[in-house]
Amino acid sequence: MLVEIPEAQAVTEGRPARPSVTARLRGWLPPLAYLAPALLFLYLWTYRPLGQTFQLSFFNWNLLPTSPMTPAGTDNYTRVLGLPELGQAVWNTVVYILALLPFTVLIPAAVALLARRLPGRSRTLYQALIFAPTLVTPVAAAAVWRWLLDPSSGPVNKALTALGAEPLNFLRDPDVAIGAIILISGWSLLGFATLVISAGLAGINDDYPAAASLDGASRWQITRLITLPLLSPTVLFLVLTTTLLSVQITFPLIDILTQGGPDGATTNVYYLLWQYGFRNFDAGFAGAAGTVFFVGFGLVAALFVWLSNKLSFYDN
Amino acid sequence: MGRIELDQLTRRFGATTAVDRVSLHIEDGDFVALLGPSGCGKTTLLRMIAGLLPPSEGRILVDDEDVTEVPPRRRDLAMVFQSYALYPHLTVASNIGFPLRVRRRSKAEIADRVSEVAEQLELGALLRRRPKELSGGQRQRVALGRALVRDPKAFLMDEPLSNLDAKLRTATRAELAALHRRLGSTFVYVTHDQVEAMTMATRIALLNAGRLEQVGTPAEVYDEPASVFVAGFLGSPPMNLLPAHVRTDEGRVLVTAAGVDVPLWTGETPEQDVTLGIRPEHLTFAPLTEEPGARPLLRGTVCTIENLGSEEIAFCAVGDTTVAVRGARPLGVVEGETVALTARQERVHLFDAGSGRRLVWQPEPAFATA
Repeated sequence: MLVEIPEAQAVTEGRPARPSVTARLRGWLPPLAYLAPALLFLYLWTYRPLGQTFQLSFFNWNLLPTSPMTPAGTDNYTRVLGLPELGQAVWNTVVYILALLPFTVLIPAAVALLARRLPGRSRTLYQALIFAPTLVTPVAAAAVWRWLLDPSSGPVNKALTALGAEPLNFLRDPDVAIGAIILISGWSLLGFATLVISAGLAGINDDYPAAASLDGASRWQITRLITLPLLSPTVLFLVLTTTLLSVQITFPLIDILTQGGPDGATTNVYYLLWQYGFRNFDAGFAGAAGTVFFVGFGLVAALFVWLSNKLSFYDN
Repeated sequence: MGRIELDQLTRRFGATTAVDRVSLHIEDGDFVALLGPSGCGKTTLLRMIAGLLPPSEGRILVDDEDVTEVPPRRRDLAMVFQSYALYPHLTVASNIGFPLRVRRRSKAEIADRVSEVAEQLELGALLRRRPKELSGGQRQRVALGRALVRDPKAFLMDEPLSNLDAKLRTATRAELAALHRRLGSTFVYVTHDQVEAMTMATRIALLNAGRLEQVGTPAEVYDEPASVFVAGFLGSPPMNLLPAHVRTDEGRVLVTAAGVDVPLWTGETPEQDVTLGIRPEHLTFAPLTEEPGARPLLRGTVCTIENLGSEEIAFCAVGDTTVAVRGARPLGVVEGETVALTARQERVHLFDAGSGRRLVWQPEPAFATA
């Protein structure tokens, strides 16, 4: 008689029993305990104010604890969208973003690619020099730049006069002021962006350029066909950061150097929001503006995340 | 043509010498395996041939032209990297066609060549995929395709099979050997795997600590290892190596050690310390009652037995050394058993105890004994 040998793996019928609710909760406890401090502060400083901003946008309130908050419905939103200064502030914001991109993408990429050819020590020194402006506090930088750009005694104007050019009132001339703010912000962002690009370059496996050189590619072909495409997720990250943060980065410079002027020529959406909220003591209006800008920037961010997922190659 | 000549090639990293004065002639059509343990300098040597690493000293000649200072892209060599280095943002077709694209060939020509190569390597269905959508074996074939798409002077390969599973590695080994036969091109192949070197190479260059230990056909390096290092590197398990002493006894050369009695040639030789080497598969069991003197004889105790399925390996304690015996299963011994081992005289290898170099018997010329 032929007999089949028994199975090597004993199979029990039905699904294995799930661990009890208390056992599962106990499993969750340690990770939660570790996360708790971070989560608490995230709630306190980010999510709670966000919720309160949204809530405030439906009330009229002058920020005085003693004065009552009166419901306003969607009035604040109507006022924000109908504000005459809004158009200029949005346009200036777009100008800031576009004009800062060369400082956060093009120049850093060129600098990082060229710096790669420097030998060890001198490269580190060079990167440190480039990064230094990023470490200067925006307020201090603004003070120094205000002195540099002073119409009568500033070194920049002295140099211009020495060269035979007309002195410029950089921060009071509506045609020049926004350019000055952009240049100063760009100067302070350049180091950070170069560092990010350098990190992106360092993350590219050395085998790719080596393989390309054996495949017969010239240095420029390697940069154009291999390095830059592999750098695209980093570039996209910088474009996203510039888009979302240039409004905040230019804020202290605007506040100290031009206060949004002359005649709104340098204001951006956040500065406008701040002026209404904290200069005119109109919390409901500021709340509504904040909510609108939050949603607007959120949509832009979502678009970038979608794009970056499409562009990632996951080098492995 | 693809003749590669290395002349006293040296590479130092700080105080360490990774490659030490290596001179090697690689003939056109050779399949040379650079074999050695990790850190022996084989990859450094290959990267110097490729031009990715400048040598500290020495010269590299390709077809009699000194290319030591020539950049990689002008050396006309193709390389398959251990990581395959497939460009992650390009499709399989663009990866394979890359060498032609940077040479500014026409789109039609590139497409033709790519589909030709893809067909050879059975990649036709994968041409539009990206590297991350491929299995390890497929990636390896794409890397090979990128090397094959042009007609380079030589193919350099840096452990191309090390990322594949055992079964695929065996199959790819055979494919690579067949490819070499078909193309007739020069292959320089870096590996730490002796099986890859033995099965594919026409010549093996064994490296140890940056120095060339032996260059020869697979049979030569296996049958006549030039040093203790080569003997102890090749074979699985490698050659048994026992410290022993050579003397002359009644006109016959005799090698002895604790539990070892190996009579060899008739003749005389000065006494010296040697390392005695016998491969595990050349040892057989002898009757316990056998008297020493007639043929090589080792006595010991079986410590453990390893079952390999088709074969068994018995590890026996002989003196202070463990001696492996490999044979068809069952070997017919049990653990703890006292055994006698023998081997044919021509299977016995001797190495100088000091230098580790191989010792060969040179019969004295006839007139000297007359």
